[in-house]
Amino acid sequence: MRLWRRKRETAPSVGELIPPEGIPLYLEVAGLGVRLAAQITDVGITLIAAVAVLVLLVSVGYGDPSTLIAIGSLLFFIIRVPYYVIAELAWNGQTLGKRLMKIKVVSHDGKSLSTHALVLRNLMKEAEIFLPATLLLTLDDKSPVATGVALAWILGGLLVPLLNRHRQRLGDLIAGTHVIHLPVPVLLTDLAQTPVKETASAKSYTFLAHQLDHYGAFELQALEKLLRAQEKNTVPVRSNSNRATIESVVEKIRQKISYANKVPEAERLKFLRAFYNAQREYLEKRQLFGERRKDKHYAAENNRP
Amino acid sequence: MAESDLIRSARFRKEREADWQHLETLVAQAERVGLQRMDFAAARDLAALYRNATTSLAIAREISLDKALLDYLEALTARAYLSVYAPQERLGGLVRKFFTSGAPTAVRRSWLFILIGFLCMGLGVLAGYQLFLENPAWYHVFMPPELAGGRGPTSTTQELRQVIYDQDPSATGLGAFATFLFSHNTRIAIFVFGLGVFLCVPAVLLTFYNGLSLGAFYALHVERGLGSDLGGWLSIHGVTELSAICIACGGGIQLGAAILFPVQRSRRAALRHAGRDAVKLALVAALMLVVAAFVEGFGRQLIQDKSTRYVIGWGLGLCWLAWFTLGGRARK
Repeated sequence: MRLWRRKRETAPSVGELIPPEGIPLYLEVAGLGVRLAAQITDVGITLIAAVAVLVLLVSVGYGDPSTLIAIGSLLFFIIRVPYYVIAELAWNGQTLGKRLMKIKVVSHDGKSLSTHALVLRNLMKEAEIFLPATLLLTLDDKSPVATGVALAWILGGLLVPLLNRHRQRLGDLIAGTHVIHLPVPVLLTDLAQTPVKETASAKSYTFLAHQLDHYGAFELQALEKLLRAQEKNTVPVRSNSNRATIESVVEKIRQKISYANKVPEAERLKFLRAFYNAQREYLEKRQLFGERRKDKHYAAENNRP
Repeated sequence: MAESDLIRSARFRKEREADWQHLETLVAQAERVGLQRMDFAAARDLAALYRNATTSLAIAREISLDKALLDYLEALTARAYLSVYAPQERLGGLVRKFFTSGAPTAVRRSWLFILIGFLCMGLGVLAGYQLFLENPAWYHVFMPPELAGGRGPTSTTQELRQVIYDQDPSATGLGAFATFLFSHNTRIAIFVFGLGVFLCVPAVLLTFYNGLSLGAFYALHVERGLGSDLGGWLSIHGVTELSAICIACGGGIQLGAAILFPVQRSRRAALRHAGRDAVKLALVAALMLVVAAFVEGFGRQLIQDKSTRYVIGWGLGLCWLAWFTLGGRARK
């Protein structure tokens, strides 16, 4: 039971990467589904290229029906292998399929991708997937043992990424790489950009230190999310359900921090903004003094012997 | 509004926001056209702003509780990091480096493993040869029927000679090239390399077995007085092809040896280290197999003279040897 729990705690889907600058970056590890989709796209692209060249060869008059399959698989092979390596070199760890799926190969140690690593991980792909797959296609029911071996081979290859937390396949493990989702930087406006003191011009809300002692960073960021949703109009702001949500949030906060004055309906959002600013300023100040408040349970955690 | 009215983390953001946005456009440009094609000022700014952004991120993690800002900086720094530390090598340079120094030095460094590969094959040939002379029934044990092509102890000398000097082969040129490339020996080479990881055993066994069937095959022809003729028939491509199998075996053994004897490293690190040379050996073996298939597909049927076959086969072998021993040595 304990072992199981510990395992779950140490298995985040986020991979830490330490660039030469020494500031750790946290990049989401790409799942198997996305990678499979990228792989299918790439195989499709190379297969189409191979078929096109084959058709060209046949139309020129090189085609001999008995060797057509051999030539075709040779073409597929000599287009496929360099394609992966060259594409990942030229586009910094992305093939066309990976670009489409917005995923990317990165070096596990935080340095730049080396040619060796890219060649290695793509050659291993041949051994892991394409070789047993061709084996599987060429075999028939006359040789059940070989078919079973090929199936076990593919299954074993597919199981490896499920067993480690960076979802590395065998080639990734040897080359020291893993695949991540490309993060998208979106800069939202700062909710605290409007200064605290001018927020409520008609009626200013001020909070005392003991009133700001109840919440932690988690609750603050939940409030931030709520306020941003109001701003971006992602929720119907004037709908009844939204109004009810805002009202319950305001009432909950008022109860928790024992804020005596009632908040009129038109002022509710203004109250929340003011509370957000005050709470953030307070928590950030505490953080500067070395006291990180993760959530509202911080007091209970700190008092534990 | 006055600056001082803002809370600390908002001021922090306001001071640096312009730089971040500039970095964002530069990163987008670098991802679109590549770092090489950016002008000097932009590339310089990208590197400098990236380093500023990493510091900003480190500070923001300490002082800010604004989730949006933290997410933005995380993503921006990661994107900038990925485009600053992109591989900078040119493709042509890479290919040249492989041929002039990478491959030959890797082969020289792993001479012991390759020697073991050749020994496995050689011992196999010897054993197969002796066993066949003792009892021809061994031939059917060692030789896979599809490889023998109907040739065996029961075929007449005339039939054997006909295959060696075949004037009218069924496939020539490109088709034959493709067929030969995917023939028995290529499969053996791939398995020998890939299975070496499992503690060397499958690689050694498979190479030995390949030698056994070759030895039995050779003994069959020697018995009929066709030894030197078969030598020519095999030499023209076999010198290259069998060497390729031995080199692939060397690479496989190297991987297996890294797992068996990791010395001071962890097994995973040792495997990764051995992989550097082993991959080069695999690439060399692949190149040799392509050349061998080319010679087999075009050359073997065109050249019917025994001595010319010997000259071409062993001349090619000498070329490989010269490349491995002389390539990539620093000029003094």
